[in-house]
Amino acid sequence: MDENNTPGSTEPPSAALIAVTLPNKVTVLKTFPLPGIGFCLATASDKSLIYTGLSDFSILRANLSAEKIEPAAVGVNGHTSYVMGLVRCGETLVSGGYDCSLIWWNAESGEIIRRSSDAHARWIRMLAVSPDQTRIASVADDMQTKLWDAVTGACLATWGDYEAQTPQGFPSMLYAVAYSVDGKWLATGDRTGRVLVRDASNGQVAATIETPVMYTWDPTARRHSIGGIRSLAFSNDSSQLAVGGMGKVGNIDHLEGVSRIEVFDWQTGTRRLEIEDSKHKGLVESLQFGPQDAYLVAAGGDNGGFVSVWNMADGKLLAQDVAPMHVHDFELSLDGRSLIAVGHQQGAVINLFSVSG
Amino acid sequence: MSHVRSFGTCIPAHHAVSRRGFLSEGAVHAAGAVTVAGCFASDMGQIHALRSEEVARELRNQDKRVILLWLAGGASQFETWDPKPGAKTGGPFRAIQTNATGVHISELLPELSQRMHHTAIIRSLNTKIADHGGGADLVETGRLKDPGILYPDLGAVVARELGRLESKVPDYVSLYTSTEGRRKGTSGFLGARYAPMFLSESMIPLNIARLDSVAEIDHHARAGLREALGIRFAASRRSQTVDSQNSAYQRVQGLMASAELFDITQEPAEVQARYGPTQFGHQCLIARRLIEAGVPFVKVARAWWDSHGQNFETHQELCADLDHSMSVLLDDLEQRGLLKNTLVITLGEFGRTPQINSSLGRDHFASAWSCSLSGLGIRGGVAYGKTDPEGHTVVEGEASAADLFATILAALGIDHKHEYTVGARPVPLADFGSKPILDVLT
Repeated sequence: MDENNTPGSTEPPSAALIAVTLPNKVTVLKTFPLPGIGFCLATASDKSLIYTGLSDFSILRANLSAEKIEPAAVGVNGHTSYVMGLVRCGETLVSGGYDCSLIWWNAESGEIIRRSSDAHARWIRMLAVSPDQTRIASVADDMQTKLWDAVTGACLATWGDYEAQTPQGFPSMLYAVAYSVDGKWLATGDRTGRVLVRDASNGQVAATIETPVMYTWDPTARRHSIGGIRSLAFSNDSSQLAVGGMGKVGNIDHLEGVSRIEVFDWQTGTRRLEIEDSKHKGLVESLQFGPQDAYLVAAGGDNGGFVSVWNMADGKLLAQDVAPMHVHDFELSLDGRSLIAVGHQQGAVINLFSVSG
Repeated sequence: MSHVRSFGTCIPAHHAVSRRGFLSEGAVHAAGAVTVAGCFASDMGQIHALRSEEVARELRNQDKRVILLWLAGGASQFETWDPKPGAKTGGPFRAIQTNATGVHISELLPELSQRMHHTAIIRSLNTKIADHGGGADLVETGRLKDPGILYPDLGAVVARELGRLESKVPDYVSLYTSTEGRRKGTSGFLGARYAPMFLSESMIPLNIARLDSVAEIDHHARAGLREALGIRFAASRRSQTVDSQNSAYQRVQGLMASAELFDITQEPAEVQARYGPTQFGHQCLIARRLIEAGVPFVKVARAWWDSHGQNFETHQELCADLDHSMSVLLDDLEQRGLLKNTLVITLGEFGRTPQINSSLGRDHFASAWSCSLSGLGIRGGVAYGKTDPEGHTVVEGEASAADLFATILAALGIDHKHEYTVGARPVPLADFGSKPILDVLT
């Protein structure tokens, strides 16, 4: 195995190596149990130490370099519902959950530094941290995007611009948020498939992108809906935006739509790629571009899970495998050759190989 | 006296159905059930052999009504009436205090939480059957299927017990517009007379409008002439058959006139707005209009709660619809003085599993689930029965589908042990051995 495949690797590989070596094999290296559903993931700078927010309301820390990975709780008296968003800013962890609260933690000691109990009026769905780690963005089912000072916890801005209800009169949801790599833009995505890209400095909407296929309303058989935008990722050069979710669903009792990704040149609104996975069904829960934007890694699932690698030159599949669980979040290693994933009752370290011949 | 034999019983000739009447009833009844249902529908005297007519008349005079909100597909008890916040199985939602001391329900039902004084929750249903068809058969009729007899569902029994023979409105109306899990309902051995008026494709009944080719004045003139001739005929040839013929015509005319009951645009705009924009809200308003007009039983099906994937999102949508629509309905009934005579039920074919699957869904589960009863005959603010801390089993007050059936009948003042006689077979209104849950009754 190439040493760059280890999750703890800190040295970025040379650009030349990445440019020519696209992964063509996905392999699960190891798994570790979680005492609930791991919804979100944050890592220390060397990526060997991970934090995950769970359905048992806890945040766990796990050392991936240990021979046996044994997650342990970070602090006590934290959230009172599912923990859905987690970011790390230096030595501070910030978490958000369905209890509508944001909590600032000392990542090392687990001590609670600050708590904003009514950060949002409804469920917090996801957090994103600015590349310089000074700002945190949160999105919630109150359909608001809020910007927070990562150090003081002050709420710096509140942005709306989404409909509170779906076109059929039911509560909408604001699932996903992502910062651009240059820190200038903030993208958000809702249940009905609407993406807003904002100027992160003032909240002004710079682009509106519609992805209606991500949302299925069943007007006849079941009279409710399923789907929504579950993941967003900017390319490393911040020019492209990948949007993840699920295609149209026939029987909305299940996550039986094909997993779906749309990639946009967001400033022109041009859809560059439309990717539907014929093999794996379910939601694309997390997305990340690989080095030099050569490929895009997607993970998610239905009753099972998947990890897929897509060529960003032509949208074709490079590599794919089932994941040991429905994946809710992952982080790619700096070299783009491995990922750490958390999901339903499990976490996993998954390698992306380039196998010749 | 001559007899005709049907379904294993001898029926005196004067109770027998005329050929025209038989064909008429058969035409509106499902194939296969015609023989049994059609014959017995004409012979309520035989079915009700043990009932004092005075008791029945008194019951009907009380104008009692039922609205069944059928949560088709199976709503989650965790996300409605039996929340388990903090339990491994509890899901993400909080429990909220209701206006009944000590009673908490899911935060997804905030409006209903403030109307709990009307409502009793039963948290201890164990009905065992966890497939849609079998579960619905059991819960709707209060008993297991029997190959030898077609049991009537709750709507038909209530229609039979509370409906008036001379009524010009339907006795049993069932609205089920979604296609998934659609069930018409069955009057079983009670016959076509108590089968539901079933609305599926449209909220306005089809095929009951006066033909355009018949002018309104002609329509009424024809009815007047038929009535006059009928009265003259009956004066010299009085029999149940003749009476039945006359009442059938009256009912048809009543049904034709009842079309406007389904038209919610006749309500003030403010009332329509209160019920909200959803189809379920509209149908709850129709239910109120029907109840107010004297229909004894209205079923409004809200499909489809079968949340194998994305249970929490599904319940955020559907509970919002249920919470608002049912709350407005309860308020409306109360303001009109109807709630004291109307029982409002939420019920489905089963509940959902404690386990949360990989799709963040819950699957079918019939071992420990919940329903609610509000209004007539119900002790409000009560949460009856108990499940274990993770909701896997009933630990207190276990109730079967038959017990629930008996409880509903008891709330209506109907003796659940009263027996119909089907052939030589006694069939109690609620199954043998069933017991009403007295703790939820006034």
